Amino acid sequence: MGKRLRMCSMKLRIKEVTLFIALGIILLLLPLIIKSPYQMHLIIMLCINIVLGMSFAMLFSTGLITIGAAAFWAVGAYASALLVMNLDLSFWLALPLASIITGMIGLVLGSIIVRAPGVAFVVQTMVINMIVVQALGQIGFLGGWGGILGIPRPNPIASIKFVSKTHYYYLILFLLLLTVAVFYGLYSSRIGRAWRSIRLNPRLAQTLGIDLFRYRLLAFIIASMSAGLVGSFYAHYFGTIEPGTFSVFKSIYIQIYGILGGLNFYLMGPIIGALIMTLVPEFLRIGKEIEPILTGGILILLVIFLPGGILSLPERMGSFATTFLSKMKGKESFQS
Amino acid sequence: MTLDLFSQLFVNGLTTGMIYVLIASGLILVLGVARIFNFAHGEFYMLGAYATFALCQVLQVNFFISIVLATLVVALFAAICYRVVFHPIRGNLLLCAAASMGLSMMFERGALVSFGTQERGLPSAFTGVMTIGTLAMPVEKIAVILLCVANMLGLYYLLMRTKLGKAMRAVKLDTEVAALQGINTTRVYGLTMAVGCALSGLAGGIIAPLFSITPAMGHAMLLKCFMVLIVGGLESMLGGVVGGLVIGMTLSFGYYFLGGLSEILLFSIIGVILVFKPGGLFGEAVEDV
Repeated sequence: MGKRLRMCSMKLRIKEVTLFIALGIILLLLPLIIKSPYQMHLIIMLCINIVLGMSFAMLFSTGLITIGAAAFWAVGAYASALLVMNLDLSFWLALPLASIITGMIGLVLGSIIVRAPGVAFVVQTMVINMIVVQALGQIGFLGGWGGILGIPRPNPIASIKFVSKTHYYYLILFLLLLTVAVFYGLYSSRIGRAWRSIRLNPRLAQTLGIDLFRYRLLAFIIASMSAGLVGSFYAHYFGTIEPGTFSVFKSIYIQIYGILGGLNFYLMGPIIGALIMTLVPEFLRIGKEIEPILTGGILILLVIFLPGGILSLPERMGSFATTFLSKMKGKESFQS
Repeated sequence: MTLDLFSQLFVNGLTTGMIYVLIASGLILVLGVARIFNFAHGEFYMLGAYATFALCQVLQVNFFISIVLATLVVALFAAICYRVVFHPIRGNLLLCAAASMGLSMMFERGALVSFGTQERGLPSAFTGVMTIGTLAMPVEKIAVILLCVANMLGLYYLLMRTKLGKAMRAVKLDTEVAALQGINTTRVYGLTMAVGCALSGLAGGIIAPLFSITPAMGHAMLLKCFMVLIVGGLESMLGGVVGGLVIGMTLSFGYYFLGGLSEILLFSIIGVILVFKPGGLFGEAVEDV
């Protein structure tokens, strides 16, 4: 019995592993298939959006809804740009440093606001986002409304000089996979289970000895760090950063990535959601003028007809099929 | 600071503040009763301004009649939006927020495509300067303030003295119990959405002669309304009134004395307030989302 079970799980493992390897090969060979730099740029932005969406999903997994993800993205981008430009640090040092700085800011802000329940937390993250954007725009040292221009490319390693988009693609792919690996590890560990139990029922979780504040704060810090990490990448990839990019509306978009994919899927949800919200507008370029109208329309249709997200589609189809079948059966029995 | 300067800044702050009050109270009404965090609220404000402009300038209707007509058009539009978009997902705050974001995208670009990017303006219906003692104040700003106050009183009457208002308050307290008492909650939700967005459209009509009308005006106004909500809380109308006036005054005086730093200061103060009163100054913290 035990042997059979183990065999079963082995089979599942093998299936999963082959799937992952296949996916990995496709992702690694993607630059060979896609030649146009513009499409490459889109895919790089997509990876950034996926990580941001995942940071939203991580907070959501503890029952907190944030409209401030873009603020931590901004902190990472500005921290990295200032470190490299003012202190002449290497990019490879500034990347983890920016992430750590964002995490520390997350720790300070989080320890103040994570205690607030429900809507109050939403509002407070929104305020943080507004303060960050205003501060970036108003303080001259941070570049003002014009932003910071001419951020240097990452320092070359060996022969890789970061001139083509392909090099950036491999870097962001590495960061994305790193984030996915860390998040996957967290979700499948004791910490992830504690987060999910908090989301399901905070009071019950508390009676089971789970410290709401500490676990939520941990999620807040890790979400901030991942946002800061891609923020640093974004600054050096794009070369210019300006406060307008990091507005509350970007945070709302990030939230939509999570909602569209499906809120119960913390890793796959943001991937699918960001894929749709980033690529669909591009396919609709035919009517460039009316593209947001179509995107908005698709968003509304998806939300109305698939409230559980895209990833709930198979489940819904399944339940639809069962009800359909049972109806048919009912008819048959009625006829006989 | 001379009395003259003070009165100028005061009237400016009061004018913009009252506009914020009008729009934010619609937002609070929709959020409280229909449980929709309406990101498209600013777009209804923009639509109201454009409708007023179209009626007044293109069809040559009297300014006041065109404001009334524009408000009705926006209310009808909002009711249709509720029935088509929000009704199937009612009660789910997150999904409604995402759907309203989609609506906002559609409306903004729709306005851009159909009206163009150029700024529009209306000639003022009131001209001249009113003098009280030694102080001179433009009549049109006073008129805007008075119109807004009248509308807020109308809203108060609607909520406190009519049957519909009673139904709205009941639904806000507890939807299921209200439905058990025979209140048609779907109808109340739709009407709330219509009234809330009509307030926004009305504000757009009122300020049409003061500010320029552009397709992007909704977004900027929505951000200001968020600030009002944050100061006053998401729950009470009184909070909306106080928050709107505080924001209007702070921005009016702050920009004159501190420049752009005033907004950072304002936000930081708000942040500190929120730490101690998570629901805003006049709200209670709501635990579930």
